[in-house]
Amino acid sequence: MELVLEHVCKSFGGLKAVTDVSFKVPHKAIYGLIGPNGAGKTTVFNLITGVYKHDTGRIVFNGHDLRPLRPAQIARAGVARTFQNIRLFSQLTVLENLLVACELQKKASLFSSILRLGAHHEDERSMKKRAEELLEVFSLRDVADEPSTSLPYGNQRRLEICRAMMLEPKLLLLDEPAAGMNYGEAEGLKDQIRWLRDTFALTVVLVEHNMQVVMGVCEEIHVLDHGETIAEGSPEKVQADPKVIAAYLGEEPEEEAAG
Amino acid sequence: MAEARTVEPSPSHEPWRARLRDLAVVAVVLVLAFVVDQTLDRVIPDSSVRQLLMLAACNVLVALSLNVINGMAGQFSIGHAGFVAIGAYASAITSSRLHERFGAGDPTFAHSFLVVPTSLLVSALCAGLAGLFVGLPSLRLKGDYLAIVTLGFAEIVRLTIGTAQISADETAGHAWSEVHGLGSFFHAISVSIAGLGGQNGYAGPHEKGVPAYAGPFWILGLTFILGVVAWRLKFSGWGRALRALREDEIAAAAVGVDPTRYKVTSFVISSVGAGIAGGLIAMMRDGNPTVQPESYNFQSSFDAITMVILGGSGSVTGAALGGVFVTFSVKLIELVQGTNAVQSLKRSAEWLDLNALRMIVYAAVLIALMVLRPEGLLGERELTLRTIRGWLRARQERRDRKAEDKP
Repeated sequence: MELVLEHVCKSFGGLKAVTDVSFKVPHKAIYGLIGPNGAGKTTVFNLITGVYKHDTGRIVFNGHDLRPLRPAQIARAGVARTFQNIRLFSQLTVLENLLVACELQKKASLFSSILRLGAHHEDERSMKKRAEELLEVFSLRDVADEPSTSLPYGNQRRLEICRAMMLEPKLLLLDEPAAGMNYGEAEGLKDQIRWLRDTFALTVVLVEHNMQVVMGVCEEIHVLDHGETIAEGSPEKVQADPKVIAAYLGEEPEEEAAG
Repeated sequence: MAEARTVEPSPSHEPWRARLRDLAVVAVVLVLAFVVDQTLDRVIPDSSVRQLLMLAACNVLVALSLNVINGMAGQFSIGHAGFVAIGAYASAITSSRLHERFGAGDPTFAHSFLVVPTSLLVSALCAGLAGLFVGLPSLRLKGDYLAIVTLGFAEIVRLTIGTAQISADETAGHAWSEVHGLGSFFHAISVSIAGLGGQNGYAGPHEKGVPAYAGPFWILGLTFILGVVAWRLKFSGWGRALRALREDEIAAAAVGVDPTRYKVTSFVISSVGAGIAGGLIAMMRDGNPTVQPESYNFQSSFDAITMVILGGSGSVTGAALGGVFVTFSVKLIELVQGTNAVQSLKRSAEWLDLNALRMIVYAAVLIALMVLRPEGLLGERELTLRTIRGWLRARQERRDRKAEDKP
């Protein structure tokens, strides 16, 4: 169930968004993808999930090349994601948002849904049960029937994670899950990510600016800047890397003068 | 304001009981429809009122089917009349051919059980295929661009049928022997399209009129049953996925809802519904015995959109309300125009074009609705006993609160 990126490149016109990025996420790892704004982290997610197609290189998940697959097929292959700028189905309730993600596990055909045969009710019941269990874990059970966009920001992010989990994915891509969360919420999120990984034998890739979360939960970190890899390794190693520090804070004037 | 909940309350009883209930409801509806079918002539002696009633039911079907694509899927089709027309012509041809097989007497109720289902099946098939054909571009087009394609399609259907003519030579079959290969194929197509009667409309193979097999039994019965189908489509996983797709295509794809598949399916289902509605209109008892291309012009596509938008995009009961409302309001305006007062006004001021005035009033109502209630009368909500009770309760509470404020 490992995810492998080999020399992946993507450019939009003249802008090189991702240049020669390679990394390997082992099964059941929690892997961090960090970098300053515009480093190409979200683009990497969009390439993995098929929203964009990479120009060169390979993206292989679980032994399958993902390039020829459409986004819905990639989701079907077990890759779920959340979005940086929350993308909930705003007219649907919290519960309905989760149920949409069960469409491909349904056994009942459209025909049996119209006739309301047993298969339809069985599907609805088992889907609802699973959705409610997940909502319970993320303490969203009480708002199940609220319109999804009426939730506070942090809960909307958690709802997106729930929705992704409804796919029963093998790989979960989280795009800035801690954005807009306070210290306590972010601590909770760390536990939830670990819990998800352990319970569902997930592989998790995390794009995050919140260093408290990234350094606390990731086993390995990959740092991008301007679409290129500048460092990778354990959190301690990455934190100490002068290139990373330079990318985030800018280089120190003395060094500049010396260089 | 009622909350925007749309999850159907799950049935607490076992599925077999639900199915028994379904069967019982269908049986009751069929019996009721049969009774109405047999007695309507006596209850409502005025055939124009009967026609209006049947037309309203057919328009409900038109609105329900358009609601699938415009309301639930969030695509904007403004060529729905094209599919209705295809359904109407398909049923008109099938039913009048079958009618001739039966000796071309008066359409009997017993024969209608063979004629109506067969004709409607042909209609549904033809319209569904056309829907597939038009639906495929909808994968790439959105908004205005899709609207243009659908509008173009409807106009092509109308104009192709309306302008096809046949010369006396060709009717006699002289030109046949002189054309070969692909030419003869196109020739055969153009001859058969011209056989639809062009601008004068289609009235059966011997101009005797399309047999009126679809009485209230068929029209009301099918409207009810297809209404239930529309409701269940909306409150199924499929309908949910479709609404999710409308909200956010990228997010829907990310959870495995394939935009392409769902959009095309919704387009085909929508056009099948339109085809059935068209078929019923063509075979309608007390209706127009000829099928005319001009009944399916842009105006009628626009009426269908009005029905959906007025009732509330995405709402099944809203579309039904819209269908009834638009049918009756069009008739009402016609009636008002016929009254003595308006007639004398017309005589005294000949420059006054009342037909144009009707469009102005219509447009004003629509604009007012868009400003005051852009989501339509119901929005995406459904009108059920439960929601009505909810509204009444909320009103009561408001009143109680007011009473407390002013002791």
